[in-house]
Amino acid sequence: MSEFHDDYPSYETMYNHSEEEGKKARKVLWKVFWVMLIITIFELIVGSMAPARGWTGTMGLKVLFIGLTVVKAAAIVIWFMHLGHEVKFLKYVILIPYIVFILYTVFIVLVEGVYSGKPGNFTRVDKIFIDQQKQLSTGHHAGAPAQDAGAEHGAEHH
Amino acid sequence: MAHTTEIDAKAAWDGGQSPFRVSYGKMMMWFFLVSDALTFGGLLISYGFIRHKYADVWPKAENVFTHFPFVEQHLPLAYVGLMTFILIMSSVTMVLAVEAGHRMDRKGVTMWMFWTIVGGALFVGSQAWEWYHFIVGTHVGGPEGHGGALRNVWDMATGAYVQQTYHGATMVVNEYGVPQFANYFFFITGFHGFHVFSGVIINLIIFLNVLKGTYEKRGHYEMVEKVGLYWHFVDLVWVFVFTFFYLL
Repeated sequence: MSEFHDDYPSYETMYNHSEEEGKKARKVLWKVFWVMLIITIFELIVGSMAPARGWTGTMGLKVLFIGLTVVKAAAIVIWFMHLGHEVKFLKYVILIPYIVFILYTVFIVLVEGVYSGKPGNFTRVDKIFIDQQKQLSTGHHAGAPAQDAGAEHGAEHH
Repeated sequence: MAHTTEIDAKAAWDGGQSPFRVSYGKMMMWFFLVSDALTFGGLLISYGFIRHKYADVWPKAENVFTHFPFVEQHLPLAYVGLMTFILIMSSVTMVLAVEAGHRMDRKGVTMWMFWTIVGGALFVGSQAWEWYHFIVGTHVGGPEGHGGALRNVWDMATGAYVQQTYHGATMVVNEYGVPQFANYFFFITGFHGFHVFSGVIINLIIFLNVLKGTYEKRGHYEMVEKVGLYWHFVDLVWVFVFTFFYLL
């Protein structure tokens, strides 16, 4: 009956549980769901308030949103994917390589991204592209006339 | 779950048993998910690079995703909120199907798997709707009073470039801001949407097996747990896509 290839307890003896245990497990799952729902609604409220209050792009908002995202991700992995119930060897084999690799990549790529976004570090092609974008966009988000006029003014000087 | 006890660290590696205490199939599903997570991680990190580089001309999501079905008003982020709710909900129904499987409750597994498939299909449909509105763009003279983007088009008759108003977004022109925003939006949400789509298909196959009683005969519902892992992973990726594309 067991699919295991070695002398080892089968899936049903390890994971199957009784009605009472099921009741307890479901209680935990619904709790996790409500917490995730409340976090998401909170994020949406803050997100829609942000532009009017000038929070957009601030460090505080970034830390808040990324922190809440990591909380939600951890909840999914621990309770929905049952990684919290697995033995520690399996947890480490899955989490440690991923976390080390991804943290390093985030660090190195974002540092480079910020560096390459500083006006002094733009290439000639980058400059032409960004000037063009500023002139072409007439949407309400970038459509502040002062900004457009400024871009044209700058172009005249060059 | 409750029966999974920690084993002696030294004895675990002496052979004759799996030190991970999982079946081959479940472990391989985990390893696949780690590699898939690295793919999504790479995509989102490169998105972060481009976004920091073009921070000045990057569009704001609140100005791009403002539509809601059957409503003419501006409702920034409302629809994506609904989509996120649908996906979280379908994650819950999936884990409830796994839990029902642990009690060998075939009826429960059938019901919860069914709702998971419905949720997944709704999400894929919503994404198609979101893409449609992003591609078509703002209405000419619509309630937003949004002008669309200007772009240079080669005019054959006069032999010169003329400026033309453009609505919507493609891979090369985007009325909301830099074309890179559209490129990454299409690539990452498209890649995620394809994962959701294949997840729905895989869930459907397992659902049919549940109906047939395959797992009842086998004595356990481990297959439901394996596809559940994949399904939760899809939800996990969406949590990050939602934050980096819509909130930040």
